[in-house]
Amino acid sequence: MTTDHAKAAPPDSSGGAAPRHTSEKTDEPTDREVKKLERRSRWYRWDLKYSPYAFISPFFLFFAAFGLFPLIYTGWAAMHQSSLVDPNDMTWLGLDNFTRLWNDEFFWNALRNTFTIGIISTVPQLLMALGLAHVLNYKLRGSMAFRVALLTPYATSIAAATLVFAMLYGRDYGMINWALGLVGIDPVNWEAGTWTSQFAISTIVIWRWTGYNTLIYLAAMQAVPNDLYESASLDGASRWQQFRYVTIPSLRPTIIFTVVVSTIGATQLFGEPLLLAGSPNGGSQSQYQTLGLYLYETGWVNLHLGRAAAIAWAMFLLLIIIGLLYWLLTRLVGKSNGQEA
Amino acid sequence: MASTTDVVATDTAAEPEPAPRRGARKPRGKANQAGGHLRAGWLTYLILIVFSVGSLFPLVWSAIAASHTNARLSEPTPPFWFGDRLFDNLDMAWNDANLGKAMFNTIFVAGTITVSTVLFATLAGFAFAKLRFRAKNLLLLLVIGTMMVPPQLTVVPLFMAIAELEWTDQLQAVILPTMVSAFGVFFMRQYLVQALPSELIEAARMDGANSLRVVWHVVFPAARPAMAVLGMLTFVLAWNEFFWPIIALTQQNPTVQVALTGLGQGYVPDRGVIMAGALLGTLPLLIAFVLFGRQIVGGIMNGALKG
Amino acid sequence: MFAVGIAATLATGLLAGCGSDDDDGGDGDGDSQVTLRVGVFGQFGFEEAGLYEEYEALNEHVTIEQDSIAENGDYITQLRTRLAQNSGLLDIQAIEVGNIAEMTGDLNGRWVDFNEYEGVDTGHFLPWKLDQATSEDGRVIGLGTDIGPTGICYRTDYFEEAGLPTDRAEVSALFTDWEAYLAVGEEFAANGPADVAYLDSAGGMFNAVVSAYEERYYSADGEINYQETEAVQTAWDLSVQAAEAGLTDKQQQFQDEWNSAFANGAFATVASCPAWMLGYIQEHAGENGLGNWDVAQSPNPSNWGGSFIGVPEAGSNKEEAVKLAAWLTAPEQQAKLFSERGSFPSSSEAHELPAVLEATHEYFQDAPIGEIFTQAAAEIPTTIIGPSDQVIQENITNGLVALEQQGLSPDDAWSSVVSQLDNALAE
Repeated sequence: MTTDHAKAAPPDSSGGAAPRHTSEKTDEPTDREVKKLERRSRWYRWDLKYSPYAFISPFFLFFAAFGLFPLIYTGWAAMHQSSLVDPNDMTWLGLDNFTRLWNDEFFWNALRNTFTIGIISTVPQLLMALGLAHVLNYKLRGSMAFRVALLTPYATSIAAATLVFAMLYGRDYGMINWALGLVGIDPVNWEAGTWTSQFAISTIVIWRWTGYNTLIYLAAMQAVPNDLYESASLDGASRWQQFRYVTIPSLRPTIIFTVVVSTIGATQLFGEPLLLAGSPNGGSQSQYQTLGLYLYETGWVNLHLGRAAAIAWAMFLLLIIIGLLYWLLTRLVGKSNGQEA
Repeated sequence: MASTTDVVATDTAAEPEPAPRRGARKPRGKANQAGGHLRAGWLTYLILIVFSVGSLFPLVWSAIAASHTNARLSEPTPPFWFGDRLFDNLDMAWNDANLGKAMFNTIFVAGTITVSTVLFATLAGFAFAKLRFRAKNLLLLLVIGTMMVPPQLTVVPLFMAIAELEWTDQLQAVILPTMVSAFGVFFMRQYLVQALPSELIEAARMDGANSLRVVWHVVFPAARPAMAVLGMLTFVLAWNEFFWPIIALTQQNPTVQVALTGLGQGYVPDRGVIMAGALLGTLPLLIAFVLFGRQIVGGIMNGALKG
Repeated sequence: MFAVGIAATLATGLLAGCGSDDDDGGDGDGDSQVTLRVGVFGQFGFEEAGLYEEYEALNEHVTIEQDSIAENGDYITQLRTRLAQNSGLLDIQAIEVGNIAEMTGDLNGRWVDFNEYEGVDTGHFLPWKLDQATSEDGRVIGLGTDIGPTGICYRTDYFEEAGLPTDRAEVSALFTDWEAYLAVGEEFAANGPADVAYLDSAGGMFNAVVSAYEERYYSADGEINYQETEAVQTAWDLSVQAAEAGLTDKQQQFQDEWNSAFANGAFATVASCPAWMLGYIQEHAGENGLGNWDVAQSPNPSNWGGSFIGVPEAGSNKEEAVKLAAWLTAPEQQAKLFSERGSFPSSSEAHELPAVLEATHEYFQDAPIGEIFTQAAAEIPTTIIGPSDQVIQENITNGLVALEQQGLSPDDAWSSVVSQLDNALAE
């Protein structure tokens, strides 16, 4: 693409200053040129001003068409008593569903479980993903094969994963208990215990999502210009220091992204605990019932659409609170050096 | 704000100021075949092999399970090596679940969703990362906010809409609601903030490029690895989507996941066949991985702004 | 939110783009070509038993397409959602017995009343089965496909080791009532193989006992009263007794672990063993159980499982669909389904057909299952069922699991059941 260097073309510094006019022209341009320049600069102004909206509008259009109605409907349903069997038959309750949640021991239990499972699955998962991405970023033989291998858990069908984890964590015939038996430890009833079941679920979550996050980190790492590393090693930085002072700062936006997404994922955790026993009760004493499972059980098993919608909105509010906490935290740490999350 | 004066791409690596903002260097930063700077030792390989084996184990085991009869799978000790029933089971799963049509449908569905998600996410992500416009931060928060809505309940109102439109059992019912993703927009924004030097955009602007041209010649090349990653993740998600398709579609016009729900009928499901079906359902994804993966390994920032 | 307005326009535009034109022609009057779609879940086997082909041969103008979802959980989710909007329903939809009560309630108007169609004979079904699919105002919305009359399955080899009789008739005579069944268990625990439990689970015991009562979880006027009924009280006490005596293998039915326990021969009896369970046991017990399992009469036979097929009002070929539904559930077809697939007929006329009466089961030492289950079917009480039966029983079973696996005292286990159910059942 060849371009003519029109002086009138305003540079769009990312600061997006208003297009500067080439004032005080020394040589008198002809009328036609002036018109052309003006037309062009008008066009540019227009382009600068409105193109961002054009770029974001497809997302918002689709969201408005297919995301907004369900969202509003769910909010509306949360204020009603209605059954999933006949969702069109609603009785107005106002905020009763929410006040009821406040006094609902099962809700708080699910919240607790979601929190503990979220912590013990998300933190190791992201740290391991960061390490793996770093390692994959070396000059490697077969890096392609490793990448595909690490991402397979994300693609593996739930049916296959269920079979395998049932085989591993089975009480009487599970492989882990068999291995424990070899070293003289009594079998563990993984699914029945509170922390054992939560540990088991965390391993499933970690297995499933580590490769996924690795890949996201890796893509960001590859965009770090090489000469940063070169100059760092010229300054005598060790591998660790390069990782610490070059890689990590460059990855900051992506790390923020994975933390946000994992937090949302952990709050809505649903598939993995369901996979452990195949029923949404989250254990006979709800010992590993997460909010996602509680929502599912309330809506799809007990058929209380309104109450389930209230749980969904409670989860939504919870995430907003967590988001505010994150924001406060970054403010307090004072790391927000011009980079908004 | 480093305002670049030497926008003409030169290959001088010298950088006068001590480490300014990232990317405030040659617009044509050498492709970071990342590891360029480091070589892997045996420990690296060991770590990767351990993780790969752990990751692959369930998939491999499902292939082993798919090669046995149901009776063999019920025996006290599970099989640890392949049996001889693999092709029989695959054949049975393929025919029982009518997988041919389902594959075709799903490739179409997941392909459409992937292309549109990646395209729109890149455009919006670029705008959020690099352009100025009114209410930008608020709109970005809104995007992130939409990710926070638990998906399990939305199927009820969504089905109301689909029923109203008379789209039940038609593919657009599973395509249109997922044509864009907030996750994708946010992902692209975070990637481009770091990976796309503003100077490149400015340089293009100086050369009189309009927005579309900037997107085509600067943004897309810079975003390519992230587009490939997003494409991969979206494709898998769309391919494995289950909860909504099972409500919106039936076996006459199914996606792979919907077709697979037909396997394992009877009071005694044949797990060998179920596993064979699951395996068939996963294979296309592995192929897609390799295709997308080449993109990720391949191009970084090649030839922005061919002058 | 300037986007919303545009979105509406966009949506309309999209709609125009993909107009649908999938009307299945008019309603099948006379003998014009018609395609009937049948929606079933896992266990039906109409297709496998060749019934569709047979019907298509008898009715040249009909083509049958089947949609099958293996898991009833996924199937009912789809059916509920579609029924709520009256959209996307097939010509015939299967309904599991656990869901029939919610269909005969407020939703019964969404289904056709088989009484209104000439030529549908509902008289040959077992009375209690027909009752279950009849709404309060007498509309019959489902025709029974199969039922699950129960016996007790037991391992002859383990009984022999414990010095107990192994002959079917003698074992049936031992089990005079559920107390006697548990007494045999005590004897088994004392003299039988050390690492074999007497029965699989307290939950299985509960199910066996509670199902044989007329009133379990609902009173006759439709009120939930599980905390007061004799059925729940008795079944709970007996289950707790079995668990505390250490007679159970502490399993949860239908989990992988339970399946493996069959393969390993970890327990000697299954207290509630319906006709369809025989195939399940055969598949999972495999070589280990070959020639060792047998089936005895239950002291209080009950029904576990079984289904119906109904015709949604929203269908476009209701006449033809009703004809097909009636034919599929007629005695001869039910008998055929039993021979081919082991689904026990819900039609008392079918019980008199030789194909049913004379049936035996090879894996179960040639047990005369036709005879055993026909006799059991005749003794099944008319149980009051309600829409939340499944939820209630699952939660009670969970309480028993907590007692067996987590060491809760019976009182604590029961109060946890009550609090779980208070939460689950509250509107």
